[in-house]
Amino acid sequence: MRSLISRSLLLGVLAAGGTPLLAHHSFSMFDQAAPITIAGVVSSVEWTNPHVYIELDLTEPVKGAKHWSIELGSPSILQRGGWKFNTVKKGDKVSAVVSPLKNGDPGSLLTRITLPDGRVLGNGGPAGVGPGTTAPNAGAGASSTLGR
Amino acid sequence: MLAIAGAMAEAQSPAARNISGAWVPMGGGRGADPKVAPPPATPIVLKPEYAKAYEARRTAEAEAVKRGEPVATPAILCLPYGMPRMMTVASYPIEILQTAGQVTIITEAFSEVRRVYLDQPQLPIDEVPPGYYGRSVGRWDGDTFVIDTVGIKQSVLSYNMLPHSEQMRITERMRLVTPDVLHDQITIEDPVVLEKPFTYTLGFRRLPKYEMVEFVCENNREYVDEQGRVRMRTGGGQK
Repeated sequence: MRSLISRSLLLGVLAAGGTPLLAHHSFSMFDQAAPITIAGVVSSVEWTNPHVYIELDLTEPVKGAKHWSIELGSPSILQRGGWKFNTVKKGDKVSAVVSPLKNGDPGSLLTRITLPDGRVLGNGGPAGVGPGTTAPNAGAGASSTLGR
Repeated sequence: MLAIAGAMAEAQSPAARNISGAWVPMGGGRGADPKVAPPPATPIVLKPEYAKAYEARRTAEAEAVKRGEPVATPAILCLPYGMPRMMTVASYPIEILQTAGQVTIITEAFSEVRRVYLDQPQLPIDEVPPGYYGRSVGRWDGDTFVIDTVGIKQSVLSYNMLPHSEQMRITERMRLVTPDVLHDQITIEDPVVLEKPFTYTLGFRRLPKYEMVEFVCENNREYVDEQGRVRMRTGGGQK
């Protein structure tokens, strides 16, 4: 029994590696297998920890709601992906591919956003890029690396 | 013989002991260099009474994640990670500052701070007030910076969310494996919870000129409902 336990614990350790996959919380409350596109006017941007949030007044209601919240990575993770604190501003018309909350509430996790000038940003970037280093061009369809 | 002496001189040169600066956890996958990858962890063997509860908790957590209803963790409440988990939180960098008599380690995630007192004796565990970081003393052993930490409170989860007692002792051996790659070999001893100590190694890449990003956990929209599930508050948070 003990060897079984130790083996299963070891497997857990190896699976986790030295780096936990998630930073602040699990993202399993979002349906990442069924992304949707929402579009509208930004009503507020909260450039805060542990997450950045964009509030969106939708042009057309989605799942019965005209206002959706979008959760992003942290400021640190986002600026690695080419974001600045003022990349998205109140009043901007944007569209975003998001993973909705599984419980049906009008909240979601960002996959990528299209800005008024046509730029497309993902939800973060690779480790180790920030002020004082060279920010990469996140480019279209930059994958979400939130929490990694 | 000369080569050995040369290697020792090299190992103890100021450069080999210069670990100041910002460091980012080394991930696997693209760009990973197997030559500097940390070795795998040794087996973790909990005492049977702790193993059963740990296994049950991990199984319940995995099932909750599958349902899309993750269970609460201290981080959900914006509590810091503490030792030893703070040393690698996702891909957030850490910063090491070497000053006279002290090495200070600051994490970007949650802005956690450890102070390691150089060449000072450690206190008996029972004399250190249990906390998130405990008390750390460090010394150089050749090219390796050895840190001894005791005094971690039980509510601060250990590596891989393992339980521990207040008798836990954390020994770290930090060493530059190349000028820009740092390994932190961490050994956890706990005569109450563990059958034997286990060791795992974290790898970090140097981040030249990186400016650490502020992290104040001020706008936490995740909350725990009455069933213990993590939920997200929608419709605007911070005023």
